[in-house]
Amino acid sequence: MKILFDLDGTVTAAETLPIISRHFSVEKEIEKLTKETVNGNIPFIESFIRRVNMLGHLPVSEVSALLSEVSLYPKISDFIRAHRDICVIVTGNLDCWCKSLGEKIGCLGYYSEAEVEDNKVVKIKSILRKERIVDMYKSLGEEVVFVGDGNNDLEAMRQADISIAAGLTHYPAKSLYSLSDYMVFSEEALCRQLNQLL
Amino acid sequence: MPTIKSVVISCAGIGSRLGLGQTKALVKINGRSLISWQLELFKEVPDVRVVVGFQANDVIEEVLKYRKDVIFVFNHRYFETNTGASFYLGARHAYDYVLEWDGDLLVHPDDVKMILDTEGEFICYGDISSENTVFVKTDSEGRVLSFSRKEGDYEWTGPACMARKNIHYSSQHVFNMLEPYLPMKGIKVRAYDIDTYDDYIRVCELVKDWKL
Repeated sequence: MKILFDLDGTVTAAETLPIISRHFSVEKEIEKLTKETVNGNIPFIESFIRRVNMLGHLPVSEVSALLSEVSLYPKISDFIRAHRDICVIVTGNLDCWCKSLGEKIGCLGYYSEAEVEDNKVVKIKSILRKERIVDMYKSLGEEVVFVGDGNNDLEAMRQADISIAAGLTHYPAKSLYSLSDYMVFSEEALCRQLNQLL
Repeated sequence: MPTIKSVVISCAGIGSRLGLGQTKALVKINGRSLISWQLELFKEVPDVRVVVGFQANDVIEEVLKYRKDVIFVFNHRYFETNTGASFYLGARHAYDYVLEWDGDLLVHPDDVKMILDTEGEFICYGDISSENTVFVKTDSEGRVLSFSRKEGDYEWTGPACMARKNIHYSSQHVFNMLEPYLPMKGIKVRAYDIDTYDDYIRVCELVKDWKL
């Protein structure tokens, strides 16, 4: 079995993007883009590229350090630490930004990849499609559980053997209601369900 | 903590026979929703699982007013399936023994306490109060021998407790899932289904004296 976790708002106790934009005072631009994406007016891939275009010039080391300070849900972190061999982080966030945060979480992670020069993102090398990670593990014969909360988790959750919509930081995207097996709104419920799946 | 650790409350149905235009979990019984009565009765149970389908979002919002650590289970095929499917889905990743509870069922609080402290598998039934029902035939020790649409000693009301390993998928009713395991231990309870508008009026009257 592999348990795949979305990162933002599922393992982290807050969405990371607003933290970056607030820190570097680019809140307004990012907020507008996020709103349009959430409303379905801008596709996720396009939104991601535009977001990186806005934030790519920021010092990578500073973004990474900032994200390493983001609070994690304590019970979920404990669960991941206790089962690090089966837990995997799957996020569209850039690897260079999430490096320290990933180390803090302490399990394998799959991220979008960027080329970094002079401590800045100069190019997006790949954008992670979460469903491909689900498919990869399934092709290896693993039973795959996916825990997510957003519209960009939809395809991965559709492909997973068991999908859990987690409303920890905000309500799960409405699009997830029609395909989730489970929905939870507390760490306790999520960890109980995960332990019962083991 | 009660003996029973997992309760599955099936709230996926459309409540068509009741005629109030909403799923039964949301129907108000003396000012509070039916699901809130049930959540109050199960407040000591560590693993409460609510199966949702019709009006899922409304049921979820209502439940969250009372309890945050509920696990919601989706029965996406609620229109084509019956309570058996909801029970299976709710129970498949629960603890070893699972109490099945219809979303339209109210049981006297004293009987609920007794049920939650009962070990092993069992079936609950009540006095016959309606004609169009499923009957239960019992032996002299109260064990359930069979279910019948025609006649019996008591009325099948639920709940029932099953070992998770014995719960297999069925698109039919819960009593159909229990039939292969008969005879089973039986417990007589004061249980009230809310299937029709007359049932609804009767239950509103009955629960006036209940102390939760």
